[in-house]
Amino acid sequence: MTKQTFNLAWRLFKHEAKRGELTIILLAIILSVSSVLSLSLFSERLQSALTAKSAEFIAADRVLNSRKPVDVSWITKAQEFGLNTAHQVYTRSMAFSGDNMMLVDLRAAAEGYPLKGAVKVADQPFAPGQATSALPQAGHAWIESRLFQNLGLAIGQYIDVGDKTFVVSKVLSEVPDAGFSVFGGDPKVLIAEADLAETNIIGPGSRASFSYFFTGSEADLNNYYDWLLPQLDNELQSWVSVSDDDSAIGRSIAKAEQYFLLASLLAIVLAAVSIAVAAQRYSQRHYDPVAIMKTLGASKSMVQQVYLLQITFITLLGIAIGTVLGFVIQQVVVWALAGSVDVSLDVWFWRPLLIAIFTGAICAVLFSLYPLLKLFSVSPLRVLRRDLGASLSSRFIQFFASGGAIFSLMWAYSGNLGLSAILFGSGILLVISLLLVTFGLIWLGRKLGQGKMGAWQLAWARIRRRAMDNAIQLISFAVTIMLLLIVLVMRNDMIAQWQNQLPQGTPNYFLVNITQQQLPDLKTHFAEENVDIEHFYPVVRGRFVAINDEKVSTAVSKEDEEAGQRQGREGLGREANLTWSNTLQHENTIVAGQWFDTNDPLASGLYGVSVEARIAERLNIQLGDKLTFNVGSEIINTEVSSLREVDWQTMQPNFFFVIQPQAMQGYLPTYLSSFYLDKSRKAEITELMKPFASVTLFDVDARIEQLRDIVKQVSLAVEFILVLVLAAGALVLIAQVQASMDERQQELAILRTLGAKGRLIRASVLFEFIIIGSVAGLMAAFANEISLFFLQSQVFEMQAALHWQYWFIAPVAGALVVGILGMIGCWRLLRLNTSHLLRQMV
Amino acid sequence: MIKTSAITKTVNTTQGELSILKPISFEVKSGESIAIVGASGSGKSTLLSLLAGLDEVSSGEIYLDGQSLHSMNEEQRAQLRGAKVGFIFQSFMLVQSLTALENIILPAEIAGLADAKQRGQDILEKVGLGHRGDHYPNQLSGGEQQRVAIARAFITKPKILFADEPTGNLDAANSDKVERLLFDLNRDSHTTLVLVTHDSELAKHCERQLLMTAGELSDITSSNKTPDINVPVPTIQSQVG
Repeated sequence: MTKQTFNLAWRLFKHEAKRGELTIILLAIILSVSSVLSLSLFSERLQSALTAKSAEFIAADRVLNSRKPVDVSWITKAQEFGLNTAHQVYTRSMAFSGDNMMLVDLRAAAEGYPLKGAVKVADQPFAPGQATSALPQAGHAWIESRLFQNLGLAIGQYIDVGDKTFVVSKVLSEVPDAGFSVFGGDPKVLIAEADLAETNIIGPGSRASFSYFFTGSEADLNNYYDWLLPQLDNELQSWVSVSDDDSAIGRSIAKAEQYFLLASLLAIVLAAVSIAVAAQRYSQRHYDPVAIMKTLGASKSMVQQVYLLQITFITLLGIAIGTVLGFVIQQVVVWALAGSVDVSLDVWFWRPLLIAIFTGAICAVLFSLYPLLKLFSVSPLRVLRRDLGASLSSRFIQFFASGGAIFSLMWAYSGNLGLSAILFGSGILLVISLLLVTFGLIWLGRKLGQGKMGAWQLAWARIRRRAMDNAIQLISFAVTIMLLLIVLVMRNDMIAQWQNQLPQGTPNYFLVNITQQQLPDLKTHFAEENVDIEHFYPVVRGRFVAINDEKVSTAVSKEDEEAGQRQGREGLGREANLTWSNTLQHENTIVAGQWFDTNDPLASGLYGVSVEARIAERLNIQLGDKLTFNVGSEIINTEVSSLREVDWQTMQPNFFFVIQPQAMQGYLPTYLSSFYLDKSRKAEITELMKPFASVTLFDVDARIEQLRDIVKQVSLAVEFILVLVLAAGALVLIAQVQASMDERQQELAILRTLGAKGRLIRASVLFEFIIIGSVAGLMAAFANEISLFFLQSQVFEMQAALHWQYWFIAPVAGALVVGILGMIGCWRLLRLNTSHLLRQMV
Repeated sequence: MIKTSAITKTVNTTQGELSILKPISFEVKSGESIAIVGASGSGKSTLLSLLAGLDEVSSGEIYLDGQSLHSMNEEQRAQLRGAKVGFIFQSFMLVQSLTALENIILPAEIAGLADAKQRGQDILEKVGLGHRGDHYPNQLSGGEQQRVAIARAFITKPKILFADEPTGNLDAANSDKVERLLFDLNRDSHTTLVLVTHDSELAKHCERQLLMTAGELSDITSSNKTPDINVPVPTIQSQVG
């Protein structure tokens, strides 16, 4: 490249920038870089905070669960990899206090536990807990409130576990890795790991589980896992990360992450569309200079260099401004949401920055490639024959190049082929439908646009004459509107689902172990105290022992039971909560078979059992299978008569097995229930429960608050992202209208010269844009519906539904927005006098 | 300087092949000035585009300063144009985003001349626009724009100058000015001039006049009469292209 070439490119760039000729393409690049940077930086910071928060639920970044102690070298190795480590032993044992005893969930924590989150303790049972960084001293035990209640204990008294006596020094309010089991878990007892040996409860055949906690950088954790993986015994050990968390929070976060990804992808597509529009316009405006340069002897390579350099200058400037702007936007949002949303400011922005720069560069290069190739093909003969355009003209190349670029960008960025394919596929479908609609419109326009030449006829005439251009314009409007609709509807549906999950009045207390004798008194007492209890579930504890007479005690495995102990999977393994009922719980849906509709046994002579669908899948239980339960010394044989889907995120009592009531006659159940008590009445709870000392009370208020907190944060973040994507979309629409205004300039000038009134021109432009906007909106609503169906059912695992309101809103909003933008653009042109318009075109 | 031998131009249309130029042979000597006149649509601009290497002949041969233009590819023709040819157009064809001075030095830069800027300043003075170098084309009048275009055409001291209706977009006063400037510079630099015009008065300033009629060329210099040209009124469409 010669110095002259560089100078020429620089000079053209400088003057064009100064004269505002590069504004649109520059804005498009700035938009792509700033939206991607602010979105990905914000979501990275938010995700980091959310992950940190959710890491608290497993007390670490990663946990290695093992049914026997692991080799010390594994832990030393982890430390060599730069990881922090801690461990804890879980087992179940009886705790004694005088004549009272109870099965407890014993946790022996070694120093360092918990690596994430905090243990909370209180000085009085059921009092709010305070976080502590300490662990029980040697000889001390911290026990849960209900154990005080059940064993009749007070602070400073003693309990025996195995061969060792512990002094009860604190009320254990909360441990981070408690899981979301809301009923059926045994009360927890936390002791120091050093004391465990003296209890002598751990020995061959004992049911202990060992958890090893790790925290560190993602890279270190992954490197360690790579080292560890070949040595893991799948029968004995499992590796758990936050993303494996199948709890309500885990799923909400996973969904939010997918939403951020989706929104970022859409922002990229929007930016790409605007760059494509701007590059097309840029290229067309340079047909003359290229023809002049070629006429004056410039070689093809010189022309190419001049324009590639210009694009490089524009891209660099766009990236620089976009980066600064993106960072500022993100900072402003972080500042505006401070107090409502936690974001981690520790995250440095190299990754989002690189993504943003990469996106800006790729968009600028790929989307200006075809317009540039067209530009390079302009013949020098254009200096004599002004009607000559570019000789390279294949819409298919353009669609193929832009389409391929969008898809690769989406795929590369998301790493999620499914999500990219769904968005891209629906985009293609939209393009094809729009082409058909446009040509349909042109046909229709022949009928509608007949008669005396008024604004309406002029509008149709223009649409008809510029069929292909209008098709492209329609497609770009519709794609933009569709993308905005997707982001908007997904946000509405997702937030609604989260809020439904935990509506006001969600039960915050669970009652377990209510005896048949206590039941009437308890109902009366609660009614007198104005506490509503809706439903009491009869429960007997039973072992699930066989499927089709094949024993399952080992197949269901201790591991499941141990996992269940901490993850709310009660009902699996050794003991299950069996309930019976004639009515289906309202959050449950039958997905196979039929709910018990008679009191009679099934054809096989057995009574029916309804099994939760996911556990049925895991244990390979089919409709018609014979399931055997062991309650005390009795055997209960049942036949699977239905499979149920259960929404475990609702914080309602739910059961894996619901048996036909006739099969359970003669068994003495205890009852289980849940109720809501307003926070302001929290102090009354001890008094409320006083007459029923043997009934176990679970307080899940803290858990619900945690869930709500996260839902609130994620919802706010989602709102912000929606606003950002809407702004990006609006800018794209403006760019599109402006670009199309340029094309109309000549026509407007001619109409003005021929004496057309401003009102006629304005009205005809308004009609034209209203027609284009409403058709684009209608098509967008259609494509939106299809994309959402796949997105919600395949990616977000939500219930897909039709959104009829958008079939009305989208065309109206499209017509309004595009119409208004068109009018503004038209106004600007009409303000200029005719000779100025004509001169601009020469 | 220019020699053509039976050059033709045909284009394909939906109605079949259309012959725009019938076989044309003629010669232009070095330093000579010729005017090609003819009615609108007679093919004179097509002939100009072929002579200047902006378009390819359908058949026949063209030699420009001894080089066979007809056998060159687009790149070689561009190189030849850059080295030996200057242009002036009816619609000025200035790059709107460059200033007057920058437009003038554009061909010199393309040719890689080191003293482009100095040459530009000098010639800008010569065309009487020394004080307007920093102005953009849309800040100049039509006459001034054409003077800039003339300066641009002469900056590389071309051997041949092609001018397509150089006064077609100008009023009488500006036409005179531009006309004088064009012929003065041409005379001073001993450039071969090929002028396409419908203006018979302008054509008379050239040493020879050739008449193009329906794709056929005839020398009318010796007949010494004003050619019968149906002068078209420029329309907005032809101005804006």
